[in-house]
Amino acid sequence: MSALEPSDESLLARYRKGDGPAFEILYARHRQGLYRFLLGLSGKSELAEEVYQDTWLSLIRSTSQPQGRANFRTWLYQIARNRLIDHWRKHGIHNPLHDSYDEQTHALVDDAADPEQLLSLSRDNQRLESALQTLPTDQREVFLLRAHGDLDLPQIATLTETPLETVKSRLRYAQQKLRRLLAEEVLT
Amino acid sequence: MTDARKTPEDQMLEHFREHSTAEPPSHLDAFILAAAQREVPAPKLNLWQRWVQACQKPRWQVAFASLVGVALMLALVQRTPEQVPSYDFAPKASAPIAKKEAAQAQPSVARSLAAPAPAPAPAPAPAAPMADFAAPAQSESISVEMADEAKVSKRVAAPVKTLDEQLLEVVRLQNAGQAREADDLMATLHKRFPKENLAARLKELKKN
Repeated sequence: MSALEPSDESLLARYRKGDGPAFEILYARHRQGLYRFLLGLSGKSELAEEVYQDTWLSLIRSTSQPQGRANFRTWLYQIARNRLIDHWRKHGIHNPLHDSYDEQTHALVDDAADPEQLLSLSRDNQRLESALQTLPTDQREVFLLRAHGDLDLPQIATLTETPLETVKSRLRYAQQKLRRLLAEEVLT
Repeated sequence: MTDARKTPEDQMLEHFREHSTAEPPSHLDAFILAAAQREVPAPKLNLWQRWVQACQKPRWQVAFASLVGVALMLALVQRTPEQVPSYDFAPKASAPIAKKEAAQAQPSVARSLAAPAPAPAPAPAPAAPMADFAAPAQSESISVEMADEAKVSKRVAAPVKTLDEQLLEVVRLQNAGQAREADDLMATLHKRFPKENLAARLKELKKN
């Protein structure tokens, strides 16, 4: 986003004051990232669509603004995450994000750090998705927030209410595992 | 940031960003945008805009307010200016006080310039009995306040005496043995009427 473009927060404020087109700009900026985050985290397109719709509608009908140090992006992803957790709770599905997960036990030696090998990562969308779904949910969440939400690590720590060091290690393990899985796919 | 500086972690993130193809369905986009347009909050208008809008959509409140406004304007336009109170009323209005004033010490020169000559001390003012009858139960404090107001109104309302009246006052003071007050009054009259031959007129008045 260039300096000349209005910020997300100012667009939301304009929409709240009756400027309809401001919402269209805001929506265009975040539609893809939010949808991919929800699809990757839930693993089901129907559920992702439902939560995606609920998230935007609640934002449209709400009169609130991002509070404190939260910017619009973290606020939006927070709403979406809460909606997904609400859905899991309502349908009696165990919330995988609340699992206490020991990253060390799932960490494998990363033998795919070679840049040449990185070039041969699978580009097949199906394989990317299946590799993503093999990650533990909390690692997957951090990776998706970083990749599609474009949130930095402190923002992710705030959003998920997790210590920053834990967020860093989750992201690191997620990336190592993905690299290994995708490289293996190509090599086999 | 160039590719050479990218860490393997950054490259993994980029890889996923580039090769993810999932998009929200177009019908969902249309639904959400339509909902946003449908529920866009009404813009907040300032006071003037709200008034104009209210006038464009007349309601009974606006009609009522307009009627009241017109009635107020008519009342203001048709209102006649207040009558200036006549000087004749001033002594009457201050009548309750006249009695007290009459009982007070000898009149000063300044008062004699502005007001009619007070009645002799023992003689009550003509309106005094009526004044007693009019407000017998009023407290002393109220009477004092009224007295002050009456003094002020008396000074304001009393007509200025003519030269002859002032000279007659001088004669009266001289006859009463108040030579100093009479001289003071004469000095004041000399200042006020420098072109008049006051001594000659005084003599003439004494003859009459």
